[in-house]
Amino acid sequence: MTMKLSHSKIDALCQTQGRNVSQLLDEAGVSRNSYYSLARKEVVVPRSVLKLSAALDVPVSALLDDILPVGERMRRRQRAVESIVADHPDLDRDNVRHTLTLLDEDPLTRIRRALRRGRARILR
Amino acid sequence: MAEHEFFGDAETRFLQELSRHDVAFMIVGLSAAALQGAPVVTQDVDLWFRELPNPGLEEVLRELHGVYVPPTMATPPMIGGEGIELFDLVTRMDGLESFDDELSRTVPLRLGRFVVRILSLERIIASKREANREKDRLVLRVLEDALATIRAREEGSDEGNDGEKDHPG
Repeated sequence: MTMKLSHSKIDALCQTQGRNVSQLLDEAGVSRNSYYSLARKEVVVPRSVLKLSAALDVPVSALLDDILPVGERMRRRQRAVESIVADHPDLDRDNVRHTLTLLDEDPLTRIRRALRRGRARILR
Repeated sequence: MAEHEFFGDAETRFLQELSRHDVAFMIVGLSAAALQGAPVVTQDVDLWFRELPNPGLEEVLRELHGVYVPPTMATPPMIGGEGIELFDLVTRMDGLESFDDELSRTVPLRLGRFVVRILSLERIIASKREANREKDRLVLRVLEDALATIRAREEGSDEGNDGEKDHPG
Protein backbone atom coordinates (compact mmCIF):
# COMPACT_ATOMS: atom_id res chain seq x y z
CA MET A 1 0.00 0.00 0.00
CA THR A 2 1.27 3.51 -0.78
CA MET A 3 0.23 6.75 0.79
CA LYS A 4 1.80 9.44 -1.36
CA LEU A 5 1.32 13.12 -1.04
CA SER A 6 -0.64 14.06 -4.14
CA HIS A 7 0.80 17.17 -5.74
CA SER A 8 -1.98 17.16 -8.33
CA LYS A 9 -4.66 17.15 -5.63
CA ILE A 10 -2.94 19.91 -3.70
CA ASP A 11 -2.56 21.90 -6.88
CA ALA A 12 -6.24 21.40 -7.72
CA LEU A 13 -7.27 22.45 -4.22
CA CYS A 14 -5.13 25.58 -4.49
CA GLN A 15 -6.78 26.44 -7.80
CA THR A 16 -10.28 26.04 -6.41
CA GLN A 17 -9.27 28.33 -3.55
CA GLY A 18 -7.74 30.93 -5.88
CA ARG A 19 -4.04 30.57 -5.11
CA ASN A 20 -1.03 28.62 -6.26
CA VAL A 21 1.16 26.08 -4.49
CA SER A 22 3.90 28.63 -3.76
CA GLN A 23 1.43 30.89 -2.02
CA LEU A 24 0.12 27.91 -0.06
CA LEU A 25 3.60 26.95 1.11
CA ASP A 26 4.34 30.51 2.21
CA GLU A 27 1.05 30.72 4.03
CA ALA A 28 1.46 27.35 5.71
CA GLY A 29 5.09 27.99 6.62
CA VAL A 30 6.31 24.91 4.76
CA SER A 31 9.62 25.18 2.92
CA ARG A 32 9.82 24.20 -0.74
CA ASN A 33 12.53 21.69 0.11
CA SER A 34 10.32 19.98 2.69
CA TYR A 35 7.34 19.97 0.37
CA TYR A 36 9.10 18.52 -2.67
CA SER A 37 10.96 16.05 -0.48
CA LEU A 38 7.63 14.80 0.86
CA ALA A 39 6.11 14.76 -2.64
CA ARG A 40 8.89 12.42 -3.83
CA LYS A 41 8.34 9.89 -1.05
CA GLU A 42 6.33 6.76 -1.79
CA VAL A 43 4.88 6.75 1.72
CA VAL A 44 4.38 9.82 3.86
CA VAL A 45 2.42 8.04 6.58
CA PRO A 46 4.31 5.80 9.04
CA ARG A 47 4.04 2.16 7.93
CA SER A 48 2.70 1.15 11.33
CA VAL A 49 -0.24 3.49 10.81
CA LEU A 50 -0.85 1.95 7.38
CA LYS A 51 -0.82 -1.52 8.92
CA LEU A 52 -3.34 -0.47 11.56
CA SER A 53 -5.65 1.03 8.95
CA ALA A 54 -5.38 -2.12 6.81
CA ALA A 55 -6.11 -4.38 9.78
CA LEU A 56 -9.11 -2.30 10.73
CA ASP A 57 -10.18 -1.92 7.10
CA VAL A 58 -10.66 1.81 7.46
CA PRO A 59 -8.95 4.77 5.78
CA VAL A 60 -5.95 6.26 7.55
CA SER A 61 -7.96 9.41 8.15
CA ALA A 62 -10.30 7.42 10.41
CA LEU A 63 -7.41 6.79 12.80
CA LEU A 64 -6.36 10.38 13.20
CA ASP A 65 -7.69 12.98 15.56
CA ASP A 66 -8.69 16.24 14.02
CA ILE A 67 -5.98 18.63 15.13
CA LEU A 68 -7.91 21.71 14.07
CA PRO A 69 -8.71 23.93 17.04
CA VAL A 70 -12.36 23.73 18.03
CA GLY A 71 -12.99 27.33 17.00
CA GLU A 72 -11.57 26.79 13.53
CA ARG A 73 -13.54 23.57 13.14
CA MET A 74 -16.74 25.40 14.05
CA ARG A 75 -15.96 28.22 11.64
CA ARG A 76 -15.38 25.74 8.84
CA ARG A 77 -18.60 23.93 9.64
CA GLN A 78 -20.50 27.20 9.67
CA ARG A 79 -19.05 28.09 6.27
CA ALA A 80 -20.21 24.70 5.00
CA VAL A 81 -23.69 25.37 6.42
CA GLU A 82 -23.83 28.75 4.67
CA SER A 83 -22.65 27.24 1.41
CA ILE A 84 -25.26 24.46 1.49
CA VAL A 85 -28.09 26.77 2.53
CA ALA A 86 -27.11 29.23 -0.22
CA ASP A 87 -27.55 26.41 -2.76
CA HIS A 88 -30.63 24.99 -1.04
CA PRO A 89 -32.50 27.89 0.58
CA ASP A 90 -35.44 25.66 1.47
CA LEU A 91 -33.33 23.71 3.99
CA ASP A 92 -33.55 24.47 7.69
CA ARG A 93 -30.23 25.89 8.82
CA ASP A 94 -30.28 24.03 12.15
CA ASN A 95 -31.00 20.72 10.48
CA VAL A 96 -28.04 21.27 8.14
CA ARG A 97 -25.71 22.23 10.99
CA HIS A 98 -26.72 19.32 13.18
CA THR A 99 -26.33 16.88 10.29
CA LEU A 100 -22.85 18.18 9.47
CA THR A 101 -21.90 17.89 13.13
CA LEU A 102 -23.05 14.27 13.26
CA LEU A 103 -21.26 13.42 10.01
CA ASP A 104 -18.01 14.26 11.79
CA GLU A 105 -18.76 11.53 14.33
CA ASP A 106 -18.59 7.78 13.88
CA PRO A 107 -21.88 5.87 13.46
CA LEU A 108 -21.78 4.30 16.92
CA THR A 109 -21.44 7.69 18.56
CA ARG A 110 -24.38 8.92 16.47
CA ILE A 111 -26.69 6.09 17.48
CA ARG A 112 -25.69 6.36 21.15
CA ARG A 113 -26.48 10.06 21.10
CA ALA A 114 -29.86 9.43 19.44
CA LEU A 115 -30.74 6.70 21.96
CA ARG A 116 -29.56 8.67 24.98
CA ARG A 117 -31.76 11.61 24.02
CA GLY A 118 -34.68 9.43 23.02
CA ARG A 119 -34.56 7.46 26.24
CA ALA A 120 -34.17 10.62 28.31
CA ARG A 121 -37.60 11.63 27.05
CA ILE A 122 -39.05 8.46 28.55
CA LEU A 123 -37.43 9.13 31.90
CA ARG A 124 -38.72 12.69 32.10
CA MET B 1 -26.17 7.17 32.87
CA ALA B 2 -23.13 6.82 30.64
CA GLU B 3 -23.79 7.24 26.93
CA HIS B 4 -22.15 3.91 26.02
CA GLU B 5 -24.73 2.02 28.07
CA PHE B 6 -27.29 2.73 25.35
CA PHE B 7 -25.41 0.79 22.70
CA GLY B 8 -22.42 -0.97 24.19
CA ASP B 9 -20.58 -4.23 23.75
CA ALA B 10 -23.62 -6.42 24.41
CA GLU B 11 -25.73 -4.77 21.71
CA THR B 12 -22.84 -4.77 19.26
CA ARG B 13 -22.23 -8.45 19.98
CA PHE B 14 -25.86 -9.29 19.26
CA LEU B 15 -25.62 -7.69 15.82
CA GLN B 16 -22.25 -9.30 15.23
CA GLU B 17 -23.63 -12.76 16.03
CA LEU B 18 -26.57 -12.21 13.68
CA SER B 19 -24.11 -11.26 10.99
CA ARG B 20 -21.86 -14.25 11.77
CA HIS B 21 -24.83 -16.60 11.47
CA ASP B 22 -25.79 -15.06 8.12
CA VAL B 23 -29.20 -14.06 9.41
CA ALA B 24 -30.96 -11.89 6.82
CA PHE B 25 -31.92 -8.66 8.55
CA MET B 26 -31.47 -4.91 8.31
CA ILE B 27 -31.63 -1.97 10.69
CA VAL B 28 -34.57 0.28 9.80
CA GLY B 29 -36.40 3.31 11.15
CA LEU B 30 -34.96 6.28 12.97
CA SER B 31 -32.04 4.32 14.39
CA ALA B 32 -30.91 3.63 10.81
CA ALA B 33 -31.37 7.32 10.04
CA ALA B 34 -29.31 8.30 13.10
CA LEU B 35 -26.52 5.92 12.09
CA GLN B 36 -26.34 7.74 8.75
CA GLY B 37 -26.07 11.16 10.36
CA ALA B 38 -29.66 12.41 10.60
CA PRO B 39 -30.16 14.51 13.76
CA VAL B 40 -33.04 12.48 15.18
CA VAL B 41 -33.71 10.79 18.48
CA THR B 42 -35.03 7.29 19.01
CA GLN B 43 -35.89 4.98 21.87
CA ASP B 44 -34.97 1.66 20.29
CA VAL B 45 -33.32 0.00 17.33
CA ASP B 46 -35.75 -1.54 14.86
CA LEU B 47 -34.66 -4.71 13.08
CA TRP B 48 -36.43 -6.09 10.03
CA PHE B 49 -35.89 -9.81 9.44
CA ARG B 50 -36.64 -11.68 6.23
CA GLU B 51 -38.63 -14.23 8.22
CA LEU B 52 -40.06 -14.58 11.71
CA PRO B 53 -39.79 -16.87 13.52
CA ASN B 54 -36.22 -17.17 12.35
CA PRO B 55 -34.00 -20.18 13.12
CA GLY B 56 -30.80 -18.12 12.88
CA LEU B 57 -32.15 -15.45 15.20
CA GLU B 58 -33.28 -18.06 17.69
CA GLU B 59 -29.88 -19.73 17.64
CA VAL B 60 -28.18 -16.41 18.36
CA LEU B 61 -30.65 -15.72 21.15
CA ARG B 62 -29.91 -19.12 22.70
CA GLU B 63 -26.16 -18.38 22.61
CA LEU B 64 -26.69 -15.02 24.29
CA HIS B 65 -29.25 -16.34 26.78
CA GLY B 66 -31.97 -14.26 25.19
CA VAL B 67 -35.51 -15.23 24.30
CA TYR B 68 -37.86 -14.93 21.36
CA VAL B 69 -41.48 -14.21 22.27
CA PRO B 70 -43.86 -15.15 19.45
CA PRO B 71 -46.65 -12.75 18.54
CA THR B 72 -50.08 -13.02 20.06
CA MET B 73 -53.38 -11.49 18.98
CA ALA B 74 -52.50 -8.45 21.07
CA THR B 75 -48.72 -8.19 20.90
CA PRO B 76 -46.07 -8.21 18.18
CA PRO B 77 -43.14 -10.65 18.24
CA MET B 78 -40.49 -9.57 20.72
CA ILE B 79 -37.00 -10.49 21.84
CA GLY B 80 -35.46 -10.05 25.25
CA GLY B 81 -32.30 -10.60 27.23
CA GLU B 82 -29.24 -8.72 28.34
CA GLY B 83 -28.10 -6.39 25.59
CA ILE B 84 -31.14 -7.26 23.52
CA GLU B 85 -33.90 -5.17 25.09
CA LEU B 86 -32.89 -2.23 22.95
CA PHE B 87 -33.97 -4.04 19.79
CA ASP B 88 -37.50 -4.19 18.43
CA LEU B 89 -38.69 -6.55 15.73
CA VAL B 90 -40.39 -5.10 12.70
CA THR B 91 -42.74 -7.29 10.74
CA ARG B 92 -43.81 -4.84 8.04
CA MET B 93 -42.62 -1.54 6.62
CA ASP B 94 -45.09 0.91 5.08
CA GLY B 95 -44.44 2.09 1.55
CA LEU B 96 -41.56 -0.27 0.83
CA GLU B 97 -41.01 -3.21 -1.48
CA SER B 98 -40.40 -6.79 -0.34
CA PHE B 99 -37.65 -7.52 2.16
CA ASP B 100 -35.33 -8.84 -0.54
CA ASP B 101 -35.92 -5.87 -2.83
CA GLU B 102 -35.14 -3.49 0.00
CA LEU B 103 -32.17 -5.55 1.16
CA SER B 104 -30.56 -5.05 -2.24
CA ARG B 105 -30.85 -1.28 -1.76
CA THR B 106 -29.49 -1.14 1.78
CA VAL B 107 -26.19 0.47 2.62
CA PRO B 108 -23.41 -1.40 4.42
CA LEU B 109 -22.34 -0.07 7.78
CA ARG B 110 -19.15 -1.27 9.38
CA LEU B 111 -19.39 -1.74 13.13
CA GLY B 112 -15.97 -2.78 14.31
CA ARG B 113 -15.06 -6.03 12.55
CA PHE B 114 -18.36 -6.76 10.92
CA VAL B 115 -20.84 -5.15 8.57
CA VAL B 116 -24.57 -4.73 9.01
CA ARG B 117 -27.06 -3.58 6.40
CA ILE B 118 -29.12 -0.49 7.08
CA LEU B 119 -32.07 0.93 5.22
CA SER B 120 -30.97 4.00 3.29
CA LEU B 121 -32.18 7.44 4.27
CA GLU B 122 -34.10 7.70 0.99
CA ARG B 123 -36.08 4.56 1.78
CA ILE B 124 -36.66 5.56 5.40
CA ILE B 125 -38.19 8.79 4.11
CA ALA B 126 -40.35 6.86 1.64
CA SER B 127 -41.60 4.65 4.45
CA LYS B 128 -42.33 7.57 6.77
CA ARG B 129 -44.23 9.37 4.02
CA GLU B 130 -46.40 6.35 3.43
CA ALA B 131 -47.00 5.64 7.13
CA ASN B 132 -48.01 9.29 7.56
CA ARG B 133 -48.64 9.09 11.30
CA GLU B 134 -48.27 12.27 13.30
CA LYS B 135 -44.87 11.18 14.61
CA ASP B 136 -43.75 10.43 11.06
CA ARG B 137 -44.85 13.83 9.78
CA LEU B 138 -42.98 15.52 12.64
CA VAL B 139 -39.67 13.95 11.71
CA LEU B 140 -39.95 14.02 7.90
CA ARG B 141 -38.60 17.53 7.49
CA VAL B 142 -35.50 16.68 9.53
CA LEU B 143 -34.88 13.52 7.52
CA GLU B 144 -35.32 15.31 4.20
CA ASP B 145 -32.98 18.12 5.23
CA ALA B 146 -30.41 15.60 6.47
CA LEU B 147 -30.51 13.73 3.17
CA ALA B 148 -30.11 16.96 1.19
CA THR B 149 -27.20 17.99 3.42
CA ILE B 150 -25.44 14.65 3.02
CA ARG B 151 -25.86 14.80 -0.75
CA ALA B 152 -24.61 18.40 -0.89
CA ARG B 153 -21.57 17.47 1.19
CA GLU B 154 -20.82 14.48 -1.03
CA GLU B 155 -21.10 16.64 -4.14
CA GLY B 156 -18.75 19.16 -2.58
CA SER B 157 -16.35 16.38 -1.70
CA ASP B 158 -16.45 14.98 -5.23
CA GLU B 159 -15.65 18.39 -6.66
CA GLY B 160 -12.88 18.90 -4.14
CA ASN B 161 -10.04 16.64 -3.27
CA ASP B 162 -10.43 12.94 -2.71
CA GLY B 163 -14.13 12.24 -3.02
CA GLU B 164 -14.10 10.17 0.17
CA LYS B 165 -17.56 9.77 1.60
CA ASP B 166 -18.44 10.26 5.23
CA HIS B 167 -21.37 7.95 5.46
CA PRO B 168 -22.55 4.85 3.79
CA GLY B 169 -25.56 6.34 2.08
